[in-house]
Amino acid sequence: MKRHQRSRLGFFPALTLISFLSAIVIGLMSTWVQAFGYMPVIGFHHFSLTPWISFFDHPSTPKAIIATLVSGWGAAICSLLTTFLLFALSYNNRYWNLLQKSLAPLLSVPHAAFAIGFLFLAAPSGWMLRLISPGLTGFQTPPDWNIMKDGYGISLMIALVIKEVPFLTLISLSALSRIDVRRSIAIGRSLGYDTTQVWIKVIIPQLYPKIRLSIFAVLAYSLSVVDIAQILGPTIPPTLAVQVFRWFNDPDVAFRLIGAAGATFILFLVLLSIGALFFLEKVIRCLLKFWLTTGKRESQIKIIKLLSNLTIITLVGITTLAIITLIIWSFTWRWQFPDILPETWSLKFWLKGFTKLGEPIWNTMVTGMATALVGIILVIGCLEYELVLERQGRKTNTDKAFWLMYLPLLIPQIAFLFGVQVLLVILRLDGVWLSLVWSHLLFVLPYTFLTLGPIYRSYDQRMTDVAITLSRSPWKAFFKIKLPILMRPVLFSMAVGFSVSVAQYLPTLFIGAGRFETITTEAVNLASGSDRRIVAVYALFQLLTPLIVFFTALWLPKLYFYQRKDMQI
Amino acid sequence: MVLDLNKIQITLNATPLFSPISLMIQAGEVATIMGPSGCGKSTLLSAICGNLPNIFQLTGDVRLNHRSVLTVPMEQRRIGILFQDDLLFPHLNIAENLAFALPEKLSRSAKKVKIKDALDLADLSGFGKRDPATLSGGQRARVSLLRSLLAEPEAILLDEPFSKLDQQLKGQIRQFVFESIRTMNIPALLVTHDPRDCPEGQMINLGKNGDSNVG
Amino acid sequence: MKYIYNTLLILLSLVISTNAYSGDWETITKNASGQTVYFNAWGGSDIINDYIRWAGDQVQSQYGIKVKHVKVTDIGDVISRILAEKSAGRNDSGSVDLMWINGENFRAMKDNLLLYGPFTQKLPNYRLVDTENKPTVLSDFTTKVDHMEAPWGMAQLIFMYDSAQVTNHPKNMPDLLIFAKKHPGKVTYPAPPSFYGTTFIKQVMLELVEDKSPLYDSVKKADFENVTAPLWKFLDQLHPLMWRKGKAFTSGAPEMKQLLNDGEIFISLSFNPNDASNAIDNGELPDSIRTYIHQKGTIGNTHFVGIPFNSSAKEGAMVFANFLMSPEAQLRKSIPQIWGDPTVLNINKLSSKDRVAFSQLPLGIATLTAAELNKVMLEPDASWVAALEKAWQRRYQK
Repeated sequence: MKRHQRSRLGFFPALTLISFLSAIVIGLMSTWVQAFGYMPVIGFHHFSLTPWISFFDHPSTPKAIIATLVSGWGAAICSLLTTFLLFALSYNNRYWNLLQKSLAPLLSVPHAAFAIGFLFLAAPSGWMLRLISPGLTGFQTPPDWNIMKDGYGISLMIALVIKEVPFLTLISLSALSRIDVRRSIAIGRSLGYDTTQVWIKVIIPQLYPKIRLSIFAVLAYSLSVVDIAQILGPTIPPTLAVQVFRWFNDPDVAFRLIGAAGATFILFLVLLSIGALFFLEKVIRCLLKFWLTTGKRESQIKIIKLLSNLTIITLVGITTLAIITLIIWSFTWRWQFPDILPETWSLKFWLKGFTKLGEPIWNTMVTGMATALVGIILVIGCLEYELVLERQGRKTNTDKAFWLMYLPLLIPQIAFLFGVQVLLVILRLDGVWLSLVWSHLLFVLPYTFLTLGPIYRSYDQRMTDVAITLSRSPWKAFFKIKLPILMRPVLFSMAVGFSVSVAQYLPTLFIGAGRFETITTEAVNLASGSDRRIVAVYALFQLLTPLIVFFTALWLPKLYFYQRKDMQI
Repeated sequence: MVLDLNKIQITLNATPLFSPISLMIQAGEVATIMGPSGCGKSTLLSAICGNLPNIFQLTGDVRLNHRSVLTVPMEQRRIGILFQDDLLFPHLNIAENLAFALPEKLSRSAKKVKIKDALDLADLSGFGKRDPATLSGGQRARVSLLRSLLAEPEAILLDEPFSKLDQQLKGQIRQFVFESIRTMNIPALLVTHDPRDCPEGQMINLGKNGDSNVG
Repeated sequence: MKYIYNTLLILLSLVISTNAYSGDWETITKNASGQTVYFNAWGGSDIINDYIRWAGDQVQSQYGIKVKHVKVTDIGDVISRILAEKSAGRNDSGSVDLMWINGENFRAMKDNLLLYGPFTQKLPNYRLVDTENKPTVLSDFTTKVDHMEAPWGMAQLIFMYDSAQVTNHPKNMPDLLIFAKKHPGKVTYPAPPSFYGTTFIKQVMLELVEDKSPLYDSVKKADFENVTAPLWKFLDQLHPLMWRKGKAFTSGAPEMKQLLNDGEIFISLSFNPNDASNAIDNGELPDSIRTYIHQKGTIGNTHFVGIPFNSSAKEGAMVFANFLMSPEAQLRKSIPQIWGDPTVLNINKLSSKDRVAFSQLPLGIATLTAAELNKVMLEPDASWVAALEKAWQRRYQK
C-alpha cells in the first residue's frame, strides 16, 4: 500500500523534470548548432567558427557586453543589498507595513507596463519634470538630459532594481518562515546587539543560502532581459540580449547564425556570472566569519535608517507614480510639455480598449488560469513526494533535484526559445494552445515553487497525521485539513504563477506562432508605435488583470475563514 | 543585584491578562511564575526584557538594581533570556555561538580562554568546532545557557526552558541551570506550567481567570 | 502508414498548387471560400490595425474568407518562424499565410526561396496598379519584384517640423546641419539598422554624393571608402549637435513622433506623407506641425504583401491581397483620418466614379500636395544597406 502510494507521487517530479529539461536541452542544442555555423535551410552546410568570429568582430559587441554587465550585475547586487538593508533597518516598522501591504500589487505590475510608466514618468519630458516646469526649472521644452537609455544602462538598472526588490522581499519573507526571526532577534538583543546587528550577523547569513537560487534567477534575468531593455536600455549599442534579439530578426538571414553565437555567449555570461556570485559568496563568508563574532554590538546608522525608510517610500512611490502617469495618459487627448496635466481629455482610448480587448483578455485569463492550476498541482505533488521520502527516513536530495526546476529561470530565454520553436514546428505542435500553456509553465513552475515551497514545508505535518487517524483517509486529510490550512499561500502562489504567465511575451510569440493574442502581446506591439495614450490603456489592462487575481487570492481566504482568528493574517 | 517587579500588569484591548504582579528577586535566587499556557506568562517575560509587541499596554515598573529599565531598549537592559528552543545560530559553530555573546572589548585570546572554560564547565570540552546540528538536545540546551551567561547579564529570564527535554535530561539540565545562576549570582525568573520545574525560590501562580497568588 | 500519409500530403499539395497555378480567378475565389488567412503585419499602429480589421470584415462578407491579423513588432520574427518551418520540412500548412513586407526583408525571403509565387499577375486588380509611373512597384529597393509580392501602398520619406517653434525648416542636408547648430539637441534620427535610420543615411548619401551611379550598382563594385566619405564627414559634424549629443538614438519614426510632440526635438521624419495630418487629427501632434521634403527630392518606395511558400491558405491570401489593391480598399486607405497611405493604383485606369472619389479626397492639414511630393529618389541598390549599416555601427557604436 505504502509502496504503491510512493510510486504514484514519484510520478510528479519525474513528469515535471522530464518535460522541462527535454525542451531546454533540445532548445539549447539547436541554438548551439546554429552558433557553429550549421543552418542548411539558408545554405550553411558546414560547421565553422565564422559566426563566433563575426560576433566578436561586430562593432557593437564590446560596448554591448559592458552595458549588459553593468546593468545586469548592478541590478542584481543593488536589489539584493537594498532588500537586506530594508530587512535590517526597517523590518516591522511603520514603513515596513507599507511595503508588506504593497507587495502583492508591486509584484503584479508586469515588467513591460512598469517600464513604460517609468519612462513616461522619469524621462526629461516625463511627468516629474512637467510637475515642476517651467515654475522651478524654467524649462519650456524638455532639457537634453541623457538620463534615460544611457550608454551604461543605469536607467535600465534602476528600473530592474525597483522591480526586483519586491520579488526578493517576498522570497525572503517566505524563506524566513523557516527561521524563528522573532525569537532570534529577542536572543540577539538580550545578548546586547541592536536589531540591525542581529539581522546582519544572525539572520541574513541564515537567510542567504535559502534564497540563493532566487538571487541567481534575478542575476540571470537582469543579464538577459529583452523587453525592459528595449524600452529603457541603451541604444547604440543596445544590451547584448536586445542586440541578439535584433540579429535573430535581421532581414539578412545570415545574421541568425551570429545571433545564435550571441545567444550562446549570453548563456555563457550568465553561467559565469552565477559561478562568480557563488564564489563571491564563499569569499565574503570567509572574510566576514571573523567579523561576526567580534562582539561589536551597535551600529552607527541613524542616517542609514532614514535612508532605508526613504527607500521603501521611493519604491512604492515610484511604482505608484508610474501607474498614475499611465492612468493620466490613458485619459489624455492632448498633453504637451510642460503642462502639469493634459490640456484636453478623452475617453476614446478606453472605449477602444474595451471593444477590442475581449479576445486577448479571454486568452490571457484562460492561459494564465490553466498554467497556474497545472503549476500548483505539479508543485504540490512534488512537495508531497518529498515528504513521503523524508518520512521513510531517506535522505532527500530533492533540493538538488529542484535545482533543475529553476533552470528555466537561470538560462536566458533567448538562448533556447528559438530552438524550442524549431522543435515544436517539427512536431507540428506550434500554435497549439496546449503548447502555449506548456511553455508558460516552464517559467510559472519555478516561481510557484519558490513562493510556495518554504511555507508548505513549514506546515506541521502532525495535523495531517491527526486527521488521518480520525478520518482514516489520507485524501480526506489532505483536502479537508492540509489544503484549507495552506489555502492562503497556495492561492497566493497561484496568483504569482498567473501573473508570471500574463507577463510572458517571447514564449507567447514563438510557441503560439503569433496566433494567441494576449494583453501582453497587444501591449508590446502597440509600444512599438507612437501613441502613448493607447499604449497606456493596454499597459493598464496588462496590469489590472494580475492585480485583480492577486486581490482575489488574498481576499478569498479571508472570506472563507472570517470566523477563524488563527487563520487571519 | 536585584530584579524588582512593581505592580506589573499587561492589558490587551483594555482587558488585563492578569492582576498586577509584584515580586522582588534577589541575586542568585530563581523565582517562578506558574500558570497554564495562554495565561500571559511569556508576554510578561517579553515585557520585562523589553520585547513587548506594541499591541499590549504595560503598567507598573521593572527595576533592575533599583533603576527603572522600562525606557531602556532591550539590547541595553542586560537581561538575558532563554527559550524552550535553544536557538543556537546554525551558521556558526559552538565556539562562535559563544563568542557572539562575549563583550567586544575582550582580546581574542581572552575570548578563547573564556569559551574553553565555559565548555569545560558544561562537560563539553572540545566541542568548540562542532556544528550545533550535531549536538544532542541536552548539549544544545547547555550551550544555549552558557551563551546567555557569557554576555554577563544582570538578570536572566527562563521561558519554559525545560519543556522540550525528556524527563531524565530535564533533571540534569535543571540542576545545571540553577547552579550556574547561583554561581553567577544574578536574579532569575522562570515561567513554566509544570510544577516539577520549580526551584525553591518564591512562586507566583497565575490562575486561569487572571488571579495571581503569591505562594 | 507514415509513408502513405506523407504521399497523400504531397499529392494533396500538388493538387492544390496545380490548381493555383492553372486555375482562373473564379477557381481561386471558390477555393478561397472558407479559408482562414493569418495575415502577419506590424501591429504598432491602432489606426492601421483598425483598417486591417475593416478589410478583413469585407472579404469575410464578400468571399467568406476569415482574416486574422497576427500583430508583430518586427516582421523579422515572422521570417524566423518561416525559416524554422522550412528547416523542419514543413512545406505546407505553414503558420503564416500573408505578410506585410518590403525592401531587405523581401529580398531575403526571395533569395532564400521562402515566397510563394509568382502570383500577382493572376489578381484582377493588379491591372489597375500604376506600373507606368511608379517604378518602385516593380522593383523593391532595386530587387525585381517578379510578381512575388503584391503592392499595397506608397511611401516617401518626409520630414515634420513644428511651425510654432521653427520658422524656416531646412531645405537640404547642409541646411539641416546649420539648423542643428542653431538648435543644438533638437535634431536626431533613428539608429540604423532600424530601416528609418538606414533610409535617413541613404538620403544623406544621395544628397551629398556627386556621382550617384555607384549607388545603383552592387556595393562590391564600388570604392566604399571614397563614395561614402561625404556621408561620414556630414554625420561627424552632425552628431555632437544632436539630441543627447548623439549618444542615444531613437528606435524609429514612432518614437520620434513622441519626442516631437514633447518638444524634445524640432524635426521628425516619416514614410507616410499623411502621417502628420493623421496624427494631428488623432491628437498625437499639435496642429502646428507641417511637413516638407528636401529640394532634390526624397527617397520613395512601395510596401507590399507577400505569401510564404508554405502558406496553408494561398487562395485566401491571394483574394485578400487582391482586395487590398481594389479601388474600394485603396480609396479608404487614402483617407487621412483612416490611414492616409497613398495609393498604388493608377487613377487614370479606374472607373470614372472611382476617379472622382480619389480626386475629391481631402488633403490633410499638414500634407503636401502630389505636385510638391513629385520629386522621388530611388532607393540605392539593396546591397548598400548592409554595408552602410555595418560601417555606421563601426564608426558610432564602438
